[in-house]
Amino acid sequence: MTELERALVALGGELEFPPTPDLVRAVSGRLQRRRWRRPLVLAVAVAVVALAIAMAVPPARSAILRFFHLGSATVEQVETLPPAQQRPITAGLGPALVREDAEMAAQFGIRLPKGVAPQQFYAQPGMISTVLRADGKPVLLSELKGDQTVLFKKFASPATSVQPVDLGEFGLWLQGGPHVLMWQFNFGRVHRVETRLAGNVLLWLDQGITYRLEGDLDKSQMLQLAGQITR
Amino acid sequence: MVGRPLDESDLIERAQRGDTHAYEELVHAYQGIAFRTAYVIARNAADAEEAAQDGFVKAWRALGRFRRGAPFRPWLLQIVANEARNRVRSAGRRASLALRAAAEEPSGDAAPSPEATLLSAEQREGLLAAVNELPEEQRTVLSLRYFLGLSEHEVAEALDVPQGTVKSRTARALERLRESYD
Repeated sequence: MTELERALVALGGELEFPPTPDLVRAVSGRLQRRRWRRPLVLAVAVAVVALAIAMAVPPARSAILRFFHLGSATVEQVETLPPAQQRPITAGLGPALVREDAEMAAQFGIRLPKGVAPQQFYAQPGMISTVLRADGKPVLLSELKGDQTVLFKKFASPATSVQPVDLGEFGLWLQGGPHVLMWQFNFGRVHRVETRLAGNVLLWLDQGITYRLEGDLDKSQMLQLAGQITR
Repeated sequence: MVGRPLDESDLIERAQRGDTHAYEELVHAYQGIAFRTAYVIARNAADAEEAAQDGFVKAWRALGRFRRGAPFRPWLLQIVANEARNRVRSAGRRASLALRAAAEEPSGDAAPSPEATLLSAEQREGLLAAVNELPEEQRTVLSLRYFLGLSEHEVAEALDVPQGTVKSRTARALERLRESYD
């Protein structure tokens, strides 16, 4: 080793690197989530098959209270909807924010279709939303981090069609009758976002994030939009 | 630099059988060198952390393909470095190397290392400035080789280039530095 090389080694010992983060905890957490994801997806798939079978049988349809979880969302079918009102699509989501502030509040970054740059975002810890334009219509995009503090519930009347779709790790398409949204933000504080009577909804789970699109689009339009978000 | 744990091959074997605790020990042993390698390439602490974390997760998934008895560190660093390079490409930014000289005086009562006495404060600053002015690929090779103490083989693996390329980049970089150091 030459003198210059020894000097470089010495210099290396005196450089200041950023402190090494605790990767053990972060990696371990991700490995544990991966371990649970497969059984979870399987469980959801089984639940949906059961749901589909139950919905195909009229006597069962009237008698069974059906529900299942998809990431941060719970879909429940009830015979009587809770009272609700028509409200703007972003009602209850909090104040409009710029993207940077919203991502900071949500504690994760939003995924958007390529080339789309909305100006307003809405956020809660573990959830971020914005309104997109698709085929000239407003579509609410919400993204929820899988194991965060936000719980998103959805109620569907028997008139609503619920179909599994091949999207991400698992997807669900809800169309038809009225349904009521309920957001449960962190620490048990419940906020209800009232009805969008004709809103069609696409829900899907991809890499720990639950995605939700809501708007007056048909299934193929919604799937096309979703495909631009989680390619 | 992080030393090799004595039972590394046992840990790898257990991890290959799905033992996450064994893998956590490997992460613990190599997180320092993995993070610094990513930092030298990405030159951004947040990107480096993300790259190192993703690298460890991908390495876990690829453990089944790891050849038993092969050195683990270069294999791991190749995955981490690849993650770091992807972030540099995707972010489209090439910030200057953000390495800063530590305090000029050793802290506490610790005596300076024999190597440290080789350089005066002025020489340290001059040499670091010269390193920072090197072309990117030469600077990265030198940083990995001399600052982090990777072997030529490990640098070649991490940068996904032939070992001969590491040698030639190192030689060219040293030649440039010699002009300013001498």
